[in-house]
Amino acid sequence: MMLGFDVIGFLISWLTLFGTYAILSMSLNLEIGFTGMADFGKVAFYGIGAYLAATITAFTFLFVNGIKCPLHSVEAIVALKECASKNPALNVSIFVLCILITFIITGAIGYLISYPTLRVGPAFLGITVLSFGELLRIFMRHFEPTGGTKGLAGIPHPLAWIPDPRLRDGIYAAIVLVVMLLTYLLSEKIANSPFGRLMRTVRDDEIATLCLGKHVPRIKAAVFFLASGLAGIAGVLLAYYLGSVNPDMFVPAVTFNVWAMVIFGGMGNNKGALIGSAIITFVDRISFVVNLLFPQAIISPDYIRWMIVGLLILITLLFKPQGLMPETPIKTLALTAVAEESGGEENA
Amino acid sequence: MLEVIDLARYFGGIKALDGVSLKVKKGSIVGLIGPNGSGKTTLFNVVTGFYEPTRGEVWFNGERIDGLNPNEIYLKGLVRTFQIPRLFQSLSVLENVLVTPPHQIGESPLNALFKKKWANQEMNLARQAFNILKMLGLAPYTNIKVSDLSAAHIKLLETARGLMGGAKLLLLDEPTAGVAYTTARELFDFIVKLRDEKGLTFFIIEHRLEVLMDYVEYVYVLHNGKLLSEGKPDEVVEDKKVIEAYIGEG
Repeated sequence: MMLGFDVIGFLISWLTLFGTYAILSMSLNLEIGFTGMADFGKVAFYGIGAYLAATITAFTFLFVNGIKCPLHSVEAIVALKECASKNPALNVSIFVLCILITFIITGAIGYLISYPTLRVGPAFLGITVLSFGELLRIFMRHFEPTGGTKGLAGIPHPLAWIPDPRLRDGIYAAIVLVVMLLTYLLSEKIANSPFGRLMRTVRDDEIATLCLGKHVPRIKAAVFFLASGLAGIAGVLLAYYLGSVNPDMFVPAVTFNVWAMVIFGGMGNNKGALIGSAIITFVDRISFVVNLLFPQAIISPDYIRWMIVGLLILITLLFKPQGLMPETPIKTLALTAVAEESGGEENA
Repeated sequence: MLEVIDLARYFGGIKALDGVSLKVKKGSIVGLIGPNGSGKTTLFNVVTGFYEPTRGEVWFNGERIDGLNPNEIYLKGLVRTFQIPRLFQSLSVLENVLVTPPHQIGESPLNALFKKKWANQEMNLARQAFNILKMLGLAPYTNIKVSDLSAAHIKLLETARGLMGGAKLLLLDEPTAGVAYTTARELFDFIVKLRDEKGLTFFIIEHRLEVLMDYVEYVYVLHNGKLLSEGKPDEVVEDKKVIEAYIGEG
């Protein structure tokens, strides 16, 4: 192996990042891939999730331990570090609670944001949530209680009571992958149900769906609620992984990175979203490592990363416009019923 | 069942529909004919809520329905098909038919998560849909994407979808355009069968008079947005005004 290259550490960081981004890209896939809603503001809900987790956790830890100081102050960071590993039950229960609360709150915010825009064209939704994300980021930069541009740091890790950092990160990566798997199962379930069929009809022809007596805005709002909630959960996972949040982590580029994963992997296919995020996060990690190994390189691999992503997209669009894994037909029970029916005919 | 009273729709200065009154009785098959541009499709559009009428009333099952939204009218059981079909291109033939029944259990996002809740209904609907497809000769294409279907089959599928939608009255806009002659007759045989078995009512726009006239009980003839003639098929065919409208004044 190369000098100073830690394979296991690399794998752990890649898998954690992959799990987080896979949740994001599956949630985007529900919107753009299945329902045809262009969500250019994914990062807003990701950020809200991360900030919610950071704030709730830091506040609860300080409150439980009777420490009175602002969440973003240096004293708070020191105090959090001290009390982080005292009570494992507290760490874990806050983690679980944060995931649940965040899902509901980010989902509800997504629903409210989408409410006025879903009744008009798709471009309006895209622009509205894009600018919502940017407004929120700029607001957070100036919002003192959560630390302004510095953000919050020292957020107690849910597994802070495990002394060995390698083991802790490994288990955390596994937890992230489990959440990702649950998201995958949920998305598959939704996509292959009669509701999933409606999502596709909205994408194919909104007017015709409306004419069939279906409540199109309600369908879109439900999808937006779910997808925003999932993006919030991804944010929670990120906040605990990094142990800190700040507004400039949530720039629009993050949204477009997720878009790249979905386009690359295949729209309307959850497995495609998984593969897309696996490959692009891998490129991301590799370029990061190369950057560390060759600090004196003339061109920073950090910049080449974006070029590689762009190249991947170009190649996909040229040779496999539907992505690595194109959409597959719905797997509902309908075909089984039909098979029984026609099978019965032949036997008779 | 359907009653239209003095219905009019103007587009700017053009009187696409100018004071038409007609009735469609429950359990009947009624035709609507007329030369191109005579206002047949406009009439359908106004009746099904796609256009608001400039004047006049539409009654369906004793309820006034003009001014309602298309989806509200659809849910009341007044279902139309389109002259140019609007199908869901990326879905299969079967899925396209399956979408139509209103208020399916699994269409609520919460229920969608619990297969047990909707599985039964889905199976039943699928069987029903498959039977409709079979009767229309679409069974071999059940699992084919609509974008890979031929024009004639698309036309038939549009009708299949109308039949599936829990309709009481079906407005069919040129159901046999671009369909082979024998298939067209089969389609009409099927319409008669549905009327007899399920008590459905049909109101059909059709240019293929040779087929239509053998099946309908009553025909309305539109010309320049006005009702030109009405009556039993053989009466209408003999009507001098109708012949003039179609082939010009002699």
